[in-house]
Amino acid sequence: MLFPTSGFLLFFLLVAALMAALETRFTAKKAVLVVASYYFYAQWDWRFCFLLAFSTGLSFVGGLLIANTSQRDRQRWILGISVAVHLALLGTFKYLDFFVLSANQLANLLGLQHELPFIEVLLPVGISFFTFHGISYLTDVFRGDVGVTRNPLDMALYMSFFPQLVAGPIVRAAYFLPQLQREQREPIPLAPALLLILGGLFKKTIIANYLATGLVDPVFSAPTEYSAPDLLLAAYGYAVQIYCDFSAYSDMAIALAALVGFRFPANFNQPYRSQRLREFWQRWHISLSSWLRDYLYKPLGGNRNGRLATYRNLMITMLLGGIWHGAGWKFVAWGAMHGGGLAIERMLEPLIGRRARSPAAKLIATLVVFHFVCLAWIFFRAEDFEVARLFIAGLGHGWAEGVQQAKPFTVALIAIGLAGQFTPPGLFARVAEGLMRVPVWGLGATAGIIVAAIQALGPEGIAPFIYFRF
Amino acid sequence: MVALESELPSYLEPRPATTADAIPIRLRRVGATPRQVLALSLIGALTLAVFASHDLASWLDRMGGSPALAPLQHAAARWDHAMASLGLGRPAEALRYFIQRLQDQDWPSAEK
Repeated sequence: MLFPTSGFLLFFLLVAALMAALETRFTAKKAVLVVASYYFYAQWDWRFCFLLAFSTGLSFVGGLLIANTSQRDRQRWILGISVAVHLALLGTFKYLDFFVLSANQLANLLGLQHELPFIEVLLPVGISFFTFHGISYLTDVFRGDVGVTRNPLDMALYMSFFPQLVAGPIVRAAYFLPQLQREQREPIPLAPALLLILGGLFKKTIIANYLATGLVDPVFSAPTEYSAPDLLLAAYGYAVQIYCDFSAYSDMAIALAALVGFRFPANFNQPYRSQRLREFWQRWHISLSSWLRDYLYKPLGGNRNGRLATYRNLMITMLLGGIWHGAGWKFVAWGAMHGGGLAIERMLEPLIGRRARSPAAKLIATLVVFHFVCLAWIFFRAEDFEVARLFIAGLGHGWAEGVQQAKPFTVALIAIGLAGQFTPPGLFARVAEGLMRVPVWGLGATAGIIVAAIQALGPEGIAPFIYFRF
Repeated sequence: MVALESELPSYLEPRPATTADAIPIRLRRVGATPRQVLALSLIGALTLAVFASHDLASWLDRMGGSPALAPLQHAAARWDHAMASLGLGRPAEALRYFIQRLQDQDWPSAEK
């Protein structure tokens, strides 16, 4: 069940009706949200609900065992075992065939005849996200950043809450669980939520979908058949497509959570305006990058043990961040590029400073970071290394051939997507404040008309969100 | 106060999360109730059913040929027909035509 579909609208109408009917009964509301979330998840494959329930039970019991033990060493063991089980589940469903393939390739290289069989297990949607939720909870309980939850309903809702279940944002236990303990009783921010939903629909339905079908997919499927300008525009196009696709999902998740009374953290903040790669990671998929920082980079030692150790920790963190995205060497390469880029940027900091100062320097820094990110996206998007190599090689010649695939329409979509990165930071708040003055019926009618317009403007059908497969 | 504190769960006590809310606090001061959320959703859905009646009918058609769905599919088709006869499908058609023309536009050099 995708957000921008009639099926989801019907589902949400039912949830909204139940939330309105149960206005003051917070426990009943949470129970309804858990049932709704499991129903939402079952729409992909009901069997995976058992996996989600197991992951929830593991986190719940692990948290209780940590809290009921006073010995630090024992707590560490419980944490280690619980996290290992979480990672084993993730590894089995997501990476087993990748490891088998890699082992078979290595065996071939070594001249061995025997090949391991593939398991061909179906990847459960959102497994990477709820696994990270579980690990976040256990680690926070161990560290004392969050108290243990003794209410299984709270744990179930934290792990399964439908807005973030399948593609994030990754919401920390320390951020979300306190919201479940006592109802926030704050007004529901209707206008900002509506703005996020409409903006998200526009980004996904118009920009991301048309860029995918009109430019990115054809060019990435056969890069040798296209000229260098097409390849360059397809690389820019993918940068805009993945941003519009993923940030649209995050925006809608944030809005849906707000409409049922919960707060979510920001997940994107105009990433392509970054002047440093480090800044890019403070603006792109913020919930993942801060998760990796707090649960991986810092425990590895962060920047506390000298420059070489810092570079190593950056590399390990980004490599694992790459693998988190998918089972494939291209994701490893993507992570390695970002890890290497972050390390090199730190090395050069004494020469270039932490921030560009003059307008020209800022412009150059932004262009350099954007093009580096686009280069890394080529590995991320390409089917495999060979396609990525052909794509990059194609950028070196054929500039006189002009564009074949990119039309003015797709170039305009790229321009609109990039222009959105440079709007004033307070614009969203100003528009939302303006909408706050509109009565509810006016907001509803306007939203209905805008959604109908977006539906009419968009292509037939809705492609799944890119991050569903992670 | 002491009584209240003793009722507080343990997980309200530790350090608060430092992550920034996606919707800033100043936009949360004024807002709606769950009933207003429901009202907005219903009005939005109704408006959508009026101006995108064709999508509603085709969505129901895509759900398959179950006998339980047949009356709904029939009703949606009639609703779509009624909206079309009132001319309410025209804005969507105009937008589809507009976007199709935009997509068909080529570079001036290619058109020569």
